[in-house]
This record gives sequence, structure tokens and C-alpha cells, in this order.
Amino acid sequence: MKKFLLIFIALIFALPAYALDGTQLLKQIDRNLNPESFEMYRKLINVEPDGRKKEFVLFSVKKGLDKIAALFLEPASERGRSTLRLGENMWLYIPNVGKPIRITSLQSVIGGVFNNSDILQLDYAAEYDVIKVEETGTEYFLLLKAKTKTVAYDQLKLWADKSKKLPTKVECLTEAGMLIKTLYFKQVKDFGGGIVRPSYIETDSPLYKDYKSVMIFAKIQKKDFKDEVFTLTFMPNMESLRK
Amino acid sequence: MKKAAVAFIFYLFFLCPWAFAEEYKFEASEIEKKPYHLGGFGEFRPVLNVLDKNAALYKVKFYNQNVGDTTKEYNFRLQLEGSYEEGIARLFMRMNQDVNNTYQGWSSDGTLYEGFLSLKPSNSWVIDIGKRTFKWGKGYAWNPVAFIDRPKDPTDPELALEGFWAGSIDYIRSFEGPLKTFSFTPVLLPVINDEINGDIAGPQLNLPGTKPPSASNQINMAGRFYFLLYDTDIDLIFFTGGSKTTRYGVDFSRNISTSLEVHGELALIEDFQKTFIDQNGNLQTSNYDHVWSYLLGIRYLSPKLTTYILEYYRNEAGFTKNEVQDFFSFVNKGYSTYLSTGNAALIQKASALTQGNFGKSTPMQDYLYLRLSQQEPFDILYFTPAITSVVNLNDQSFQLIPELLYTGITNLELRFRTYFLVGKGNSEFGEKPNDYRIEIRARYYF
Repeated sequence: MKKFLLIFIALIFALPAYALDGTQLLKQIDRNLNPESFEMYRKLINVEPDGRKKEFVLFSVKKGLDKIAALFLEPASERGRSTLRLGENMWLYIPNVGKPIRITSLQSVIGGVFNNSDILQLDYAAEYDVIKVEETGTEYFLLLKAKTKTVAYDQLKLWADKSKKLPTKVECLTEAGMLIKTLYFKQVKDFGGGIVRPSYIETDSPLYKDYKSVMIFAKIQKKDFKDEVFTLTFMPNMESLRK
Repeated sequence: MKKAAVAFIFYLFFLCPWAFAEEYKFEASEIEKKPYHLGGFGEFRPVLNVLDKNAALYKVKFYNQNVGDTTKEYNFRLQLEGSYEEGIARLFMRMNQDVNNTYQGWSSDGTLYEGFLSLKPSNSWVIDIGKRTFKWGKGYAWNPVAFIDRPKDPTDPELALEGFWAGSIDYIRSFEGPLKTFSFTPVLLPVINDEINGDIAGPQLNLPGTKPPSASNQINMAGRFYFLLYDTDIDLIFFTGGSKTTRYGVDFSRNISTSLEVHGELALIEDFQKTFIDQNGNLQTSNYDHVWSYLLGIRYLSPKLTTYILEYYRNEAGFTKNEVQDFFSFVNKGYSTYLSTGNAALIQKASALTQGNFGKSTPMQDYLYLRLSQQEPFDILYFTPAITSVVNLNDQSFQLIPELLYTGITNLELRFRTYFLVGKGNSEFGEKPNDYRIEIRARYYF
């Protein structure tokens, strides 16, 4: 009886060690996607139902949990525009307008399926709590809930590859559970410096039937930036960060 | 053979890396940094003005000619910008060239909008010397605190403007805690005769038979302190010097939610002198210890992706309803005199008082601005219909501007606009020279 009791107590303490820690897993997924501070280039392509495309090239820098900025390099009509996000604050700088104007996360500076919060995405763990985590065959499934009302999507359903701990699919939902868009993470690539992650994200949305948008990643590299880079006053000078 | 074909298709779609890459290429050359940059846009903007022959400003403009019921304009614009970067230095230039064909024939005007050298010894310091715009303030249609910028057109606030010659420094600091960012921008603006910043004081009265005041040599100073405090942008602004009276400003902007932003500006202008006329055309001046000017606005994105921009603008430095009505009475008197006697002195005086004064954009005291734009309705990507209205609350006249914008072709922007000007007699928009105006703008960026 004493032996049985000991085994029972041991099991109680042992169980949490084997249970999945969703928050830790989400942080691991974040780190596998990007270093905490880095620079990268992205091409965003909006594809219309008839196959017509519009492409945007962006240079982005990120620091810590809540600072990210992006500079438009192409097309010519957007060149020199930059966007900045500090937590839930977002601004758009248009060279002609001359001053940064506040924008909201659900707007889209490029049109199409990607909105501002997709373009200036922070770590998932910075914006969401894990409310459910499951293992399904070769994948993890995480149900995420926004930490505050100011986050663009109230809920996310995230599927991640078990061995690589990288997302394969993310569904973005409203508070009522309505699907806004689905992101598909594809083509895992070695970017060097230990960064191995999907190099291609495709998205579609029931709100934009037959349209899709694509994000291709290049030259992701760890880099440290001073906090002053992520300020409104610095926005017109973002080009100087490119080497 | 069939097997081989299936294998080939399988290879093509699932194994061959370039098959996928072929569809969406991202070449290294697309992100290669060059030390120089050249770009800009070319624009063609034909306009049809439908005239209001009873309006006061029609009489001022066309008192001695018959241009018919409509006038046409063919406006061409080339805006070139270039930059060169070497180490911590960057040279930037923006040139604007307008060529216009109107009822007066062909005319052209070339202006250096901006041209300055920027030095960035570190991410915390930026030093700019040359001609540039500052665009201070948070308002969309008006900026009462933009003391060192030219006023923008509230019906087209995103147009690039000509800057002033200045030397400025940006000092930026970031912090942890409620104050996330602080920056300070001191600016020196010299005035050298009429050559450098001669027009910084704004348009001057240039009455027939009188010599316009010449700008004397001055040094003006302005500055801005910026704080990102508790997720709110706050600016404290000042201007002092010999060209304009001392003035102080404060502005703020804050996102209340993911779809709602609020902003405001408040300006205090010291020792303000207002010049206006009575209905006989006699110049009058009123002196004030100070006048206030302020703006409150919101920007809201609805769940259906309609953007609403609403702003209220109060400008104590503007003309009152009575002052404007006296001006219109004087115009009508001058026009009647011209018709009956052929003497154009009065109407010419009215014309001189129109430019930059009674005829400028939103010259009175209380205005409301409303803009509704719908992002990509009916699933038409890059298509944005909008409607804008500027309402004069002092005389209840208004301007209504429906607009269609299409940006679906890379680097080509097509905009169609109609301006309806509505108001009774003696009201601002009722006395504009046209009843409505149709405009197409095709702009190609390169």
C-alpha cells in the first residue's frame, strides 16, 4: 500500500513535466521564426483572380518584443514610405505628406489580404495567450487568444510542425469565431546564422474571394539596433540602415 | 511514355525548386542598395470649370473678359527627386515643374521644393541644412501649429509642398517606461532680402499703386519637442523671430482602439494684426494681444473598411462673416463701377485683396472637414471611392468632392474628382468663381 502511494505521489509530480507548456512552445516557435532583433527583406505580392499581380518590396528591422519598422523599396509609387510599430501604436510616413500619420492595425497600406498588423507582425507570444495546446500526429495545434482588445485578430488557430517547431498554418478569427484569413507557411529555408524558417507565406481570405497574397522572405539576419531607430523622428531616415 | 510524362509533371511541380520560384521571383538585384536614387512622377490633369457668372470671385477674375460658361485647363506636372548617399551624408533634391494651358494660354513654373544635405553622425542625431519641409502638426486637412510650412490645400492635403531654407537638428532619445521617445528639433530660418525665405510671413497685401513690403534680413527660430508618452504623440512647438510674431503650439495624437485615432492641435499667436476692408474698400486693421487657433479630429475605420476622417477647425485669425460680406459688397461695387464707367481701379483693388487673403483656401473662422473613403468595395482591389466635404460653419456654405481612385496598374494612379461648390450669395463657396469642377488626374511614378 505504501509503495502504491509513493508511486501515485511520484506520478502526480511527474505528470506536469510531460505536459505541453503552450506558452513555452509558442515562444520557441517565435524564436524559430525570427531572432529577437533582426533585419530582413520581403516581397509582398497581391494576386488577383485573373492572375494579375502587384508587387511590393520592403526592408524591415525589428527589435525586442514590440518594435518593428518597414521601408518600402518598390514599386516607385510607394518608394520611401515607411511604417513603424511600437506595441499597438502604428504610423505611416509618406515622403510627400512629410509627417508620420497614425494608422490602425486592420487597415492595409498595400491593399489586398495582408493588413498592417501582418506586415508589422510582432512575436505571437507578445500579443497572444495560449488557451489550448494539442498534439496531432506530426503537428502541434495551438489555440491563441489576444491579450488585449487592441490586437488585430481576437483568436488564432496555429498549426506547427512538431519536429521543426515552425508554423505551417495559421487561421485568424474574430471574437465571434469568424474566419478572417488563413496564412500558409511554406518552403523552409536556411537563411544562415542558424535561422531556418519558412521563406514563403501565402494567405487567402473569405473576405477577398479568389484573391491571394504572398510574402517571400530574403536576407534575414540577426542585427542589433538602437532604440532611437524605432521613433517617428527617425522614420524619414530608415534608408540609412540598409547596407 | 505516359509514365515519363507523369514523372516529369511530378518533378516540375513538387521537386524542381525553380518551377515555383519562377512564378514569384525575388532577385538579389531587387534589394541591392545603390548610393544614388532617381525617381519622381509625371502627371496629366485636365480640368473643366463650370463658371458661376454671378459670383463675386468670378467678377474679380474675369471682369474684363468673356470666357464663356466653362473654362478648360490642361495641367502637366513633372516632379523629380534624387538623392546621393555617402557615409553619414545624404544629399536630397525634389524639383517641381508645372506646365499649364488655361484660358490665359500656356504658362510654366519650375520650383525647387526641397534640396538639403543631411548628416547622420549617429542614430540619435540628424543635421539638415538646405531647403526642406517640416510638416509639423497632426491634423489631416489643416495644421494650425505648422508655423514653418506653407499652408496645405485641405481638399488635397497629401500634395508635396515647397519648403523653406533652414538649418535643423534632430536629437532623438528612447526610454523604457511611460515615456518611450523624446526628440528635440531646433530650427534656424534666415531671411535674406526677398531671395531666401522672403515669403515666410505669408502672402502680403499688394495693392495697386503701393509697393509691397520687402522682407528684411532676419533670423527666425523655431523648435519642436516631441514625446511619445503613455502611447500618445505629443508635440510642443514654438516660433519666434522678426518675420512673424511669436507663436506657440501643442498637438497630440493617440490610437484609442485598433480602428479609432484621435488628434488635436492648439496654437497661440501673439500680437496678431488683422487687415481687412469695409464695404467701401477702406483698409481696416484690428490688433489683438493674441489669437487662438485649434483643431480636433478623429480617424475611424469601420468593420466594413470605410475610413472616416472628421476634423473641426477654429481659426480666430480668420475673417468673420461680416468682414467677408463687406469684401463681397466691395467687389460688387467695383464691378458695377467698371461696367458703368469703365474705371477698373476698384475691381483691381478687390483683385489684389483676393490673392492670399479673401480668396485663399478656407479664409474664415470655423470649418468642418469630413472624408469618407471605402477601401476596395465589391472586391475590386486597389479601387477606393471617397467623398470629401469642407463645410464653412460661419455661413453654411460647403464644398462636396466625390472621388474615384484606382491604383491597380503598377506605378500608375488614376483619380477622377468632381468639386461641387454650394452656398448662398455672400457665402464663401457661393461666391467662388465656379459652380463645379471636373478633374481627372493620371500620375505615373518612375
